[in-house]
Amino acid sequence: MLLSTVVNGTEVSLDIAPDARLIDVLRNALALTGTKEGCAEGECGACTVVIDGAAVNACLVLAAQVQGKSVLTVEGLSSAGQPNALQKKFVELGAIQCGFCTPGMLMSATALLARSRQPSHEEIRRALAGNLCRCTGYAAIIEAVAAAADEEGSQT
Amino acid sequence: MATPFKYVGRSYPAPDDSEKVSGKLVYGSDLRLPGMLYARLVLSPHAHATVGSIDTKKALSVPGVVGVYSYHNAPSTPYCRYRIVPGQAGCIDDETLFASTARFVGDRVAAVVAWSLEAASEAARLIEVIYTELPPVLSADAALEPRAALVHSSGNLVHEFDHATGDPAALPAGAVMTCTAVRTQMLHHAAIEPHTCLANFDASGKLTIWSPCQSVYGARTVVADLLGLPYNRVRVVKVPMGGSFGGKQEFILEPVTAYLAMQTGRPVSLTLDREECIRATMVRPEQRSVVRSAVRADGGLLDLDIETLLAAGAYASSSPDYAEAMAHKLTRLYRVRRYRHRGRVAYTTAPVAGGMRGWGAPDIATCAEIHMDQIARQLGMDPLDFRLRNLVHPDDIDPVTGRSVGEARVRQCLERGAEAFGWRDRAAMPPGLGRIRKAVGLACGAHKNGLLSDTFPESNTMTLKMNEDGSLDLNASIHEVGAGSVVTLRTIIAEELDVAPEMISAREADSETSPYDFGCFGSRMTYVCGASARALAAKLRDRLIEAAAELLEVSLGILEAANGRVQRIGVAGTGLSYPQIVQGSRMRHARDMIVTHTYKGTSNPGSYSVQFAEVEVDVLTGLTRVTQVLTAVDIGRAINRGMVEGQCRGAIQAGIGSALCEEVVIDSAGRAGTGGFKNYHLVNAADMPPVTVLLVEHDGDDGPYGAKSVGEIATVPTAAAIVNAVNRALGTAMTTLPLTPERIVATLCETAEIGGRDASCF
Repeated sequence: MLLSTVVNGTEVSLDIAPDARLIDVLRNALALTGTKEGCAEGECGACTVVIDGAAVNACLVLAAQVQGKSVLTVEGLSSAGQPNALQKKFVELGAIQCGFCTPGMLMSATALLARSRQPSHEEIRRALAGNLCRCTGYAAIIEAVAAAADEEGSQT
Repeated sequence: MATPFKYVGRSYPAPDDSEKVSGKLVYGSDLRLPGMLYARLVLSPHAHATVGSIDTKKALSVPGVVGVYSYHNAPSTPYCRYRIVPGQAGCIDDETLFASTARFVGDRVAAVVAWSLEAASEAARLIEVIYTELPPVLSADAALEPRAALVHSSGNLVHEFDHATGDPAALPAGAVMTCTAVRTQMLHHAAIEPHTCLANFDASGKLTIWSPCQSVYGARTVVADLLGLPYNRVRVVKVPMGGSFGGKQEFILEPVTAYLAMQTGRPVSLTLDREECIRATMVRPEQRSVVRSAVRADGGLLDLDIETLLAAGAYASSSPDYAEAMAHKLTRLYRVRRYRHRGRVAYTTAPVAGGMRGWGAPDIATCAEIHMDQIARQLGMDPLDFRLRNLVHPDDIDPVTGRSVGEARVRQCLERGAEAFGWRDRAAMPPGLGRIRKAVGLACGAHKNGLLSDTFPESNTMTLKMNEDGSLDLNASIHEVGAGSVVTLRTIIAEELDVAPEMISAREADSETSPYDFGCFGSRMTYVCGASARALAAKLRDRLIEAAAELLEVSLGILEAANGRVQRIGVAGTGLSYPQIVQGSRMRHARDMIVTHTYKGTSNPGSYSVQFAEVEVDVLTGLTRVTQVLTAVDIGRAINRGMVEGQCRGAIQAGIGSALCEEVVIDSAGRAGTGGFKNYHLVNAADMPPVTVLLVEHDGDDGPYGAKSVGEIATVPTAAAIVNAVNRALGTAMTTLPLTPERIVATLCETAEIGGRDASCF
């Protein structure tokens, strides 16, 4: 089937199998390998992308379901090669160790900050509850999201 | 705080963090090569069965399928997935590429290689294997029963030992005897990136393996020996890794992927799914230890006698060494008059056990520290006072190894931690009588720094080159597991040469080009490789000073290296910059600023951590919430402070899981891992308690600037501290992990469980 969608701000038309998972289309057809696969069952959150503003596990969504929608992946966060506030804070505050959960964390946080400009730590913890990390113990990730919210808040 | 260091002790992001946040870093599971084939494995659905005929007709007819391999058409040379050095003692060759007898649910029976993953998966489903089932052996106890089915013809007992040291004199009158039987469970490492490997056998006859592994030279040893290739025709490249925690230490996918690449003459990629990772890679072993002690009435430990029974699973891999490691932890932690540790390791038809973060230390600390709380309770002592009475002091000799425990600051960890946590006041608070019971618990742990033992040496080789612009290339077999090894080494070299860390680039391990190193495990990275990097940088600094003296025609004694130059001692801006020296020396004296150094490790002090936890237990549902953890770590010196703290927090996340919710459960048919992460619960961001990290820093050991290991020790006491807190909250003596709600409710219902005692005690 022909899929017409927007990925990271660019219109995309692709011939896909009707049963293709979104994660496979992103990683294979579009070579957007920043979206990671950790469990294929929506438990680890490594494949989180943002579809029309909502954080979604790309392993549980058929590519056909994003027909006419807008998909944001980790590759779409920076603009003109410059990292955004979330990406910068993740690096500055040590929110990254192996980094495999990082894209999913960033995308869940992106969806959170789009709907809540100054989330409390509790809101951040809940928003990231579907993203597993085995390295960091989460504290630095939560701090990074809070700091990015502060920075974006102070700029507007 | 004033620090004598310019770079050591600050916080640094990893050098590839900007690639990680942009999604650009290519991990092992992202690698693609032109002409690459995809492999899928066929795993045994039976715990124990003879593999008979394998009908591959339907599979081979799937479009895109290139080949199907099983023991019918592949070599059955046995090997050991755990071997690092050729001929390594303690390695048992009991595994083959494909099983002719399936020994656990998940054993490799066949592999399909196809042009697409879909075709490989479809074909794998269509392979028809005729199995003849054999009786399963699902626990170490069952394995050692007289009429148990044999997992391997050599017998089910893989390894046993009886180590005793100290004075076996009669116990004084009034000695208090305590016995505790503790069981720790199979755990999944749960690296978020599944196991993956890519291999290519090129036209020149060279095999290249791209693997997110912890030892390129170990992978080379296993693969080259198995496939009969010279060591210089097997190149193993360490690629970015989405976590390991020991789960990628052993060479699970490398042999089979390499074999498939050789057979097909094409690049072959093999990536497991989560269920396969849980069931068919390796697990932390299930073990049960009976801990018996005798203490004087004043709380002084006299005797500690431990019997450990450990389930190796279907293949021995590292289990014999793992069990031995368990016998080498407690005498680094406590002063005892006599220590005896008997261990038995048994094959079972269950997932293969192997090394995991802490390598036996959390397992035995969990047993011993639950026991220590029981002794304290029996004596009516505060668990803190009981431990202070018995913990080792700096420079004590470990009676088991005969080596010094080094600058062991575990007592300081305990005292500082107790004060910061407010232990005395909080421990005195009653847990309450309502539905939610609250209490605190503590535990201590000891681990090591490197591989040095009576049977294994410790060394590392690195090369450092300075370029004409003063930038540096470190060539070393670094295996970044996400714990910041690259940054740690760069920081040490920067400190030693007084150059900015950004001036130093460091590649990861490539067995074709990087100097030899055993690998990144055994808590050796900072202590051994870091010390090696420091000595290497000092050697280059000496070389720069010599070269500058020659160029300036002055005597060596008046020069020093500082601020990126060699100058007259104490006179900034004099002399020559590093670039001037590199360039001048090459053009005028044919000298090159490149040094290679082999560091020899001669010590293996203790690393220590003491942890305090507060829990709230719902007596109605049995659900436990950990509400706070404080960890005090005898780090010696934090090189990258932020990463040290991050390692501690991540280690505690895993430790909480092992105390409360993580377990690889096998059903009566031997199936494990069913449902993947749905049925294997990791602590998530919402449930993670606040963690306070206290670092005890000091000089005195051989690590760089006094630094010791952290990644493993940080998880050693966590589970015990939480179990002790739960037992204090409920007045129970639970000793079977994890303390799931079901187990807690059952224990509260049958108040019969006392002290984890059973017939095997006394």
